[in-house]
Amino acid sequence: MEETISLQDLFKVLKKRFLLIVSITVAAMAIAAIISFYFITPIYQASTQILVNQKASEQPTIQTQDIQTNLQLINTYNVIIKSPAILSKVIENLDLDMTPGQLTDKITVTNANDSQVVNVSVQDEEAFRAVDIANTTATVFQNEIKTLMNVDNVNVLSPAVLPENPSPVKPNKMLNIAIAMVIGLMVGVGLSFLLEYLDTTIKSEQDVEEILDLPIIGLVSPIPDKMQEKSVSTKRKSQASSRGEKVNV
Amino acid sequence: MFNKKKKRMNAKSMARSLVVETNPKSVIAEQFRTIRTNINFSMPDQELKTLLVTSAEPSEGKSTTAANIAGVFAQGGKRVIMIDADMRKPTAHYTFHLINSFGLSSLLTKQCTLDEAIKKTDVEGLDVIPSGAIPPNPAELLASNRMDAIVEELSQKYDLIVFDTPPILSVADAQIIANKCDATILVINSGGTDKTNVLKAKESLEVSKANIIGVVMNNFTLDKDHYYYQYYGNAE
Repeated sequence: MEETISLQDLFKVLKKRFLLIVSITVAAMAIAAIISFYFITPIYQASTQILVNQKASEQPTIQTQDIQTNLQLINTYNVIIKSPAILSKVIENLDLDMTPGQLTDKITVTNANDSQVVNVSVQDEEAFRAVDIANTTATVFQNEIKTLMNVDNVNVLSPAVLPENPSPVKPNKMLNIAIAMVIGLMVGVGLSFLLEYLDTTIKSEQDVEEILDLPIIGLVSPIPDKMQEKSVSTKRKSQASSRGEKVNV
Repeated sequence: MFNKKKKRMNAKSMARSLVVETNPKSVIAEQFRTIRTNINFSMPDQELKTLLVTSAEPSEGKSTTAANIAGVFAQGGKRVIMIDADMRKPTAHYTFHLINSFGLSSLLTKQCTLDEAIKKTDVEGLDVIPSGAIPPNPAELLASNRMDAIVEELSQKYDLIVFDTPPILSVADAQIIANKCDATILVINSGGTDKTNVLKAKESLEVSKANIIGVVMNNFTLDKDHYYYQYYGNAE
């Protein structure tokens, strides 16, 4: 028995389970909204910029090689910023209740392509703490690098500031809801096709003809309750009046 | 209150609605008249005397269909008798509001005469033999020679004998009677009957050499393209 599915059949399935698909989508969106509004703690971000620049030594002019050296240094600095050597000092300074490992997860160090500017971003549940951590990390790094590498080539370009109305970067509510909508839609459509596939009952005349190879001599619509009610009551009355006997149904 | 409603539903659900009598102008009555026409057309050569209504699974609408088909044939001017051969879960006496003291089982065990078993109904030209008391061995009773004799006798008196039977897949009763009937109708509950079960039912009927004239699809919600039913029939 070969089954071919036409485009109309697909649409028919979707139309039949339209309510299911819509309700799953709406439910997924609602769950995503509730979770992102009430359950996920908002996370604030603060970033500070550090400029790495070798102090001019003998040569009065800046040479390309110096810049190259600086760029290579930056890669090293990226690692150093996130090392416990720096972070434990940051924790000490700010009196934070966390391990250097936990702090590492909050800090992202990036540098723009081929530039000497290093971006230190800190994400935290509290906006002011994010700013504090960012600034402290920058200053601690600036001080430590002198002893660590015997150079004084780090300057804080722009310290992080606490905006008046800090807005969280996470969760992105709209994005979460949009993702939930797409997922809900996919699940709904998938589920409706699965249900259709798993439903092995006979539904149409085509089914009968294909499977049984028998003629259909009639279709009977569902008998509404209204008619059943009527049938019982009129029957009772007519019977009671015509025969004068009691019927226990 | 909840309980009360449930109870009432149960009492009502035992009686199968005889739409062709109570709502003769309804779409459903019209559908049963179409079935009557199709049954007539499906047996042009030999005379249709005995008709069996059955289905694969329980509660697919056998008794409703059987009662209504018997009703439309009676309305069409034939002398019809419906026999409730479902001696395990009889319903005909509820549908037609009869007393089930004597019926097919009493008849087969020679506890009453044929005239005592035949009950008149409100429908003109339609008589009913209810199931009678529920016997321990319905299949043996139906397979007996006495059954053949009764059918023979009834076919002298009536134009059409309609049998309401138990589901095929549950018990052998339907197969036994199907073998003796001129025509068999398979009732399918659309959206409720499993494809494999229907196929099994058809195979068992074929084994018993039944003449399946066709399928009645019950609980069938009409599409828009079936508008002509709606067009000719009125809702009430």
